[in-house]
Amino acid sequence: MEPCQFHPLSLLFVGIKREYMISVSNLVKEFPKKDGSKFFAVDDVSFEARDGEIVCLLGVNGAGKTTTMRILSTVFKPSSGTANIQGWDICKNPEKVRENLGFLSGDTGLYNRLRVHEFIRYFGRLYTMEDKVINSRMEEMAELLDMHDFMDKKIEFLSTGMKQKVSIVRSIIHDPPVMIFDEPTSGLDILTARNIVAFIRSCKERGKCVLFSTHIMREAERLADRVVMIHKGKILADGTLDELRAETNQSDLDDIFVHFVNNFTGEIEVQAHEF
Amino acid sequence: MNSKKVMIVYRKELLEVLRDKRTLFTTLLLPVILYPLLIVGFNAIMTRQTGILEEQGATVAVQDSVQNAISMKLISGLSQIENFTILPAGANSQELYIAKDIQSIVTIRDSVRADGLKTYHVYIQYDAANERGNLTYTKLSGNIAETQKEILAEELEQSGINPELMNIVDVRKRDTADSQKKMGMLLGMFLPYIMIIMLLTGASVVAADLVAGEKERKTLETLLVAGVGRKEVVIGKYLTIISLGMLNLVVNLFSISFSLRYMLSQSGLDMSGASMPLKAIFILLAAMLPLATLFAAILLSISTFSRNMKEARTYEQPIMMVSMIMAMISFLPAIEMSNLMALIPVVNIALLFKAVMINDYQISHLVITIVSTVILDVLAIWATIRLFNTEGILFRSDDDGGSIKGIKKNKASFFNSYNGLVYYTLALLLLYYLGSYLQKADLGKGLVQTQILIIALPVLLILRFLKLKSNEVLRLKTPKLKEMLIIPFIAIPASIVVAILSQLINVIYPFPEKYLEILGELFKMDLPLWGSFLVVAVAPGICEELLFRGFMLRFFEKYGVKISIVLSGLMFAAFHLDPFRFAPVFLLGMLLAYLTLRSGSIVNAMIHHTMNNGFAVFVMSFAGSKYLQIFLQDGENLKYWVAAPALLILSLAIYYFHKITGENECVE
Repeated sequence: MEPCQFHPLSLLFVGIKREYMISVSNLVKEFPKKDGSKFFAVDDVSFEARDGEIVCLLGVNGAGKTTTMRILSTVFKPSSGTANIQGWDICKNPEKVRENLGFLSGDTGLYNRLRVHEFIRYFGRLYTMEDKVINSRMEEMAELLDMHDFMDKKIEFLSTGMKQKVSIVRSIIHDPPVMIFDEPTSGLDILTARNIVAFIRSCKERGKCVLFSTHIMREAERLADRVVMIHKGKILADGTLDELRAETNQSDLDDIFVHFVNNFTGEIEVQAHEF
Repeated sequence: MNSKKVMIVYRKELLEVLRDKRTLFTTLLLPVILYPLLIVGFNAIMTRQTGILEEQGATVAVQDSVQNAISMKLISGLSQIENFTILPAGANSQELYIAKDIQSIVTIRDSVRADGLKTYHVYIQYDAANERGNLTYTKLSGNIAETQKEILAEELEQSGINPELMNIVDVRKRDTADSQKKMGMLLGMFLPYIMIIMLLTGASVVAADLVAGEKERKTLETLLVAGVGRKEVVIGKYLTIISLGMLNLVVNLFSISFSLRYMLSQSGLDMSGASMPLKAIFILLAAMLPLATLFAAILLSISTFSRNMKEARTYEQPIMMVSMIMAMISFLPAIEMSNLMALIPVVNIALLFKAVMINDYQISHLVITIVSTVILDVLAIWATIRLFNTEGILFRSDDDGGSIKGIKKNKASFFNSYNGLVYYTLALLLLYYLGSYLQKADLGKGLVQTQILIIALPVLLILRFLKLKSNEVLRLKTPKLKEMLIIPFIAIPASIVVAILSQLINVIYPFPEKYLEILGELFKMDLPLWGSFLVVAVAPGICEELLFRGFMLRFFEKYGVKISIVLSGLMFAAFHLDPFRFAPVFLLGMLLAYLTLRSGSIVNAMIHHTMNNGFAVFVMSFAGSKYLQIFLQDGENLKYWVAAPALLILSLAIYYFHKITGENECVE
C-alpha cells in the first residue's frame, strides 16, 4: 500500500515537504460530438491537494467539475494526461486508486431493497475488508452519526437525511486517506447539507485530503483551504482565498470568480482577434 | 479477475432481486399457481362440462318417410339413448332447429337399387360448430350403426347364414410405444416452447433491473468507484441472471411435473403409468443451462446499453419474439435434429429437448449444441464487458436518433449506427418482399430491377434529399492505376478460395437439393454469356457496392476501421438471406470493405465484386472445356489443391495492395 509515503529520504523532509495526496497533471478529456468534432470537457487541467487540506473545485454548471472527478475516481479514462491518488496512477492502478478513495456525490443513489447494515457491509466486502473490521467500523460510525435506530431498516423506508448518512458511511467504510465530494450538497435540504459540511470538516481534522466541487461560492468560502477555479474545462485560478483576494483586489469570492472569468473570455477574444 | 468479489456482487444482487416482489411473483409464485390452475383446473372444468352436456342430452325430430319395420326399429333404437327425447318431425321442425330447441333432425328415406335391393338412407342434420351438436351426432350415428348390425344379423339368420360371418375379419392393434415414450413425445412437443419462454421471462425481468435499473436509480457510479473491477461486476450480474432464469425454470418444471402427474392419475388414459422421470428433468435442466447463459449475456448487454429500465424492456421485445418463433420449431412434426440444426441457437435446444424426451438423441448433437451456444455466449459476454467499459454508453443521456428536421439541420448526424440499422432493416424487408415479387416473372430482368431499384436507387435518392455530395459520401473516385491493376490478382484468387470454402462447407453441411436447384437457375438463365455477365456480375458489382461499401460503411465509421469492416461483412452476408453461403459472403464482404477503406475509393471494390461474380459465370459456362477440367472435379467443383496457389497469390497481392495504399488515410 501507499508506496510513496515511506521513502527513507522523505524522513529528512518531514514537516517541510509533504507528498501530494492528489496530483493532477495535464488532464484532458474529450467527448465526440454528433457532428464529428470534439468537445473538450476537461482541457489541460493540473492541480494538487495535500492531506489535511480541503481543496474546492469551483465552477459553474458544465465547467468540467464532474468529469474531472469522474476521471479521478476511475469511472472515466482520461484522453491524455494523468493523475495520482495517494501515489497510485489512475490509469495504471485503478483498483489501488479506488481502495484509497472515498467518493460521495449529492445525487448518489442507494440500493433500496437492502437493509442499511447489508448495504454498508456490501461495500466494505468489495474493499476486501474482514467482516469483523466492517462491523466495528460500522458500530463506531453509527454511534458518531446517531444511526442506531435505523441500521436494520430497509433503505427504501429512510428519510433523505438518513439516506445521506448511509451514503457517508458507505464512502468512508474503508477509511480512505483521500475523499472526493462531487457537488455534495446539491439537492439536499439545509439541515442535511449542514451535516455534510460538518462531515467534510471532520475529514480534514482527521488529516484526510479532501477535494470537493461546488458552484456555490459561499460553500467554497466557508470550507476551502484552497480554491481551484475551473471554467470551460480550463483552470482559471488556483490559490488560497487570501492569495486570490490579493491577486484580484476583490474581497468577495463572487467578484473574484467573475473577475477571472472575464479575464479568461477576454483572453480568448484577444486570441481570436490576433488570428 | 477476483472470484471472491464476483461472489460478493453475485450474492448481493441475488439478495436484492429476491426481495423484489415483482421478480418473486413472476419467477416463483406464478408458475406454482399457474400450472395446477391451467392443467388440473382446466381438466376438471372439461370433465364437468362434458358431464353437463351428457346430462342435457338432446331433443331430436325424426322424419320417417319409410314407415316399415326397419325404420321403426331404427327409431326405437334412437329412443333408447340416455337423456335423448325423440319427437316426430313436423312443419315447424326447421324453425325449432334454428331456435336451438331441437339439436338434430333425422330423416329416413329408402330407395331401390338396380339389383333390386332396398336401401335405407339416414340423414342426420346437426350443428358441427357446437359441442352439443357434435355430441348429439356422435351418439346418433353410433346408435344407428348398432341397430344396423342387429338388423343385419337378423336378416342373415333368416337367410340361413351364420351371423358371425360379419366378424370374419378381426382387426387388433399392438402399440410398441410404451406409455413413457408416448408421454415423452407429447411433452417434447410443448415443453421446449414453454421452457424457453419461461427461461427468457425469468431472466429478462432481472436483467433490465441489474444495469439499466442501476442507471435509473443512480447507483451505478457508486458501484464503479467502489473496490471492484468492472469485469467482476459484469460477471456477478451475469451469474445472477443465469441463476434467476434457471430458478424460474426449475420451479416451472416441477410445477408442470406435479400437475401432470395429478392430471394423468385422474384421466385413466393408457399413459397413466407414465410420469416425468427425475432423470429427464435433470438432463433437461443441463441442456437448458447453455441457453440460460446465452440469454443472460444478451439480456445483460441490452440492459447495459439501455438508458433506463423502460428502454431495456423495449429492446428485450425483439429478442423475445425471435426466440418464441424459434422455439416453436418443436411443434413442427417433420423437423429433426441434425448437425446443421445443432448450430442454430434456441432451435438446437428445442430439438435436443424433444429428442431427450423420447430418449432418442445423439451425443454429437449434444456436443455441437453446447459448443456453439457457448461460443455465442462468450462473444456476448465479451461485448457486454466492452460496453461496460464504454463511457459513452454507460453514461448515455442524449438522444442518438434524429428527426428529419434535425438531420437536415445537421447533415453529418444522419450517419449514426441507429439510422444505419433502421435503413438496413428497411432495405432487407424491401428485398424480401419486392425483390422476390420482381424476380418471379423473369429472373434475369427481376435481378437487374432489384439491383437498381431496391439496392442502388434509394441510396442515391436519400443522398440527394439530404443534399449531400454523393461522390464524397460514397467514395466514388477514380483509384490509382496501380491499385486497379492489382485488383484482379486479389479478386480471382479470393473467388477461388471462397468457392473452395463453400465446397468444404457443403461437405460438412450438405446443401439441400432444392437449394442447389434454385442457385443453379441463376446460371441457366436463357441469356447469352454477356447477358449473364451483366445480370450476375456487373449489376451487383456496382449496385451492391454503392449500398454496402459506399452507404452502409458511413453509418459505423465511428467504431473504427476494424469494427466497420466486420460489420460490413456481417450485414453483407445476412443480406443474401442464405445461411449456406453466410461464411463465404462474410469473408468477401470484409475483403471488399477493406479494399474500399484502405484505398479510399469504392471503384476498387466494384471491380473486385464484378470479377468475383464474373468468375462464377465463367466457371459455370466453360466447365466443359478441357483446359478448365484440369482444375475441376465432379462437374463444376474446384479441385482442393487450387486453394494453395490461390492463397499464395492472394496474400502477396493483398500485401502489395496494403503497401501501395500506405500513404492514403485509412479513415477520413
